[in-house]
Amino acid sequence: MSSIGTVASAAAEKGTPVQQIRVLLVEDNLSDMELLLRALRRDGFDGEFDAVQTAEEFAQRIRTKSYDIVLADYNLPQWTGMEALEMLHQEGLDIPLILVSGALPDETAVGCIKRGASDYILKDRLARLPAAVRSALEDKKLREERERAQRELAQKVEELARSNRELEQFAYVASHDLQEPLRMVAAYTQILGEKYRGKLDEQADKYIYYAVDGAKRMQTLIQDLLAFSRAGRGTERSLTDGRVAVEQALSNLTAAIRESHAEVKFDHLPVVLANHSLLVQLFQNLIGNAIKFRGIDTPLIQIAAEQETGQWIFTVADNGIGMAPEYLEDVFIIFKRLHTREEYPGNGIGLSICRKIVEQHGGRISVTSQEGQGSTFRFTLPATEPEFQPGHTL
Amino acid sequence: MNNGEVEILLVEDCQEDVDLTLHALRRENLANNIMIVRDGEEALDFLFCRGPFADRSFEKPPRLVMLDLKLPKIDGIEVLRQTKSHPRTRIIPVVILTSSKEERDLVRSYDLGANSYIQKPVDFDKFRETVKQLGLYWLITNQAPLSNGVKRVSEIKR
Repeated sequence: MSSIGTVASAAAEKGTPVQQIRVLLVEDNLSDMELLLRALRRDGFDGEFDAVQTAEEFAQRIRTKSYDIVLADYNLPQWTGMEALEMLHQEGLDIPLILVSGALPDETAVGCIKRGASDYILKDRLARLPAAVRSALEDKKLREERERAQRELAQKVEELARSNRELEQFAYVASHDLQEPLRMVAAYTQILGEKYRGKLDEQADKYIYYAVDGAKRMQTLIQDLLAFSRAGRGTERSLTDGRVAVEQALSNLTAAIRESHAEVKFDHLPVVLANHSLLVQLFQNLIGNAIKFRGIDTPLIQIAAEQETGQWIFTVADNGIGMAPEYLEDVFIIFKRLHTREEYPGNGIGLSICRKIVEQHGGRISVTSQEGQGSTFRFTLPATEPEFQPGHTL
Repeated sequence: MNNGEVEILLVEDCQEDVDLTLHALRRENLANNIMIVRDGEEALDFLFCRGPFADRSFEKPPRLVMLDLKLPKIDGIEVLRQTKSHPRTRIIPVVILTSSKEERDLVRSYDLGANSYIQKPVDFDKFRETVKQLGLYWLITNQAPLSNGVKRVSEIKR
């Protein structure tokens, strides 16, 4: 480095809080440099001030030490301040650079700013320098914070996706592995009950009955949980005729339909890109629910679909008992029930599976209802693209 | 076990499951001649009349093998493969009785010649019904394969 070297730091004048910074000066004129430092110190800056003259010195400095800011003259004997800016870019350093120079042609000054200089200060207007330095440092800080926030966000998204996958896997494995020991509990309490019924006392019979009943209910819950986690696993999509899916759902519900004399009406239903068996299950759960929660009238269920920008909106409307508005969101939560098991059997799994299926297909599901006035379930599925017409294979 | 005649070979490592199966068979009086082995190696020794079962005879094969897939030492699939690939043992009916839900286990089992594949029902009543039907079908309804004429003669004499 040249004889200019490191300028000793000095205490700031007055009582303003001193900001410590590391400055690299690119300047060949000693008295200009003095003026520059004075301007900074007067306004509350202090710290390390290194100075260089040539491009080689500059390169060596920026590679060996980290600076908060570079203050560069534009016109130097062998090079220009703009070249210093290029060198910073080449080294991949995000250090703000302020040009401190004599009068420059407007286009040169504008060109420098366009190519990344933070500011341009005239040597005879040095009073503006501290504010420019502050602003450049502030910009850099904001830039870094934004980048960090973006990095953190991307990381959070990735973590969330991973923890979701793990949770799915956990639910599946846990319910699968819980099933075996529970099978033994259920079987052996049942054998106990059969073998010793009436041979102990009334209490014992009752307790054994509770144990058997509890184990059986837990088995159903675990099977439901497995069904729920399986609903997230069917990822194969094919062109599926909504009508065929509904017909298959109806055929699976034959007994319930016959017993309740339910009437199910539907006309045109579109072909959608979906997992066939999941779509059948979706309709089956919705229609099954409509029948289960019927009112005193014969159940009437209407299924329809209409197209809206980029998606199909399916509706499954019934004339059943409906539900109070405050529960409309809750019904899609797993194991959430609005009625006692005595009133309506079930574990509250059906609609949560529906939501999972719909969301897996990129759609949404909702319900509108009034107590005693039936319910209308609405779900969306993405419309197939024009080239996905029946007959085409994907 | 009367005079070495085994009707059912139950290959199952889990004692609770052994007891459940025996319980279900006993209710139907089908549990008289059952041999229980706890791993794949023992199952193969029994089926191939060797090791501790060297005094057994190929002339008197079990009428049914109930085979679990997850077994210590040698797994059920390998027991099935060896049983079904040997001319002296391949006529023995083998029913896979497993808690596995893996489709490839099912496909592989039939591919290797399993006579039936049953997933253990989780519900105990259904399990009991399944084992009962299995026992009734293979021991009573189904006509047992005869390894050779000698056995037929001995049976007629009895």
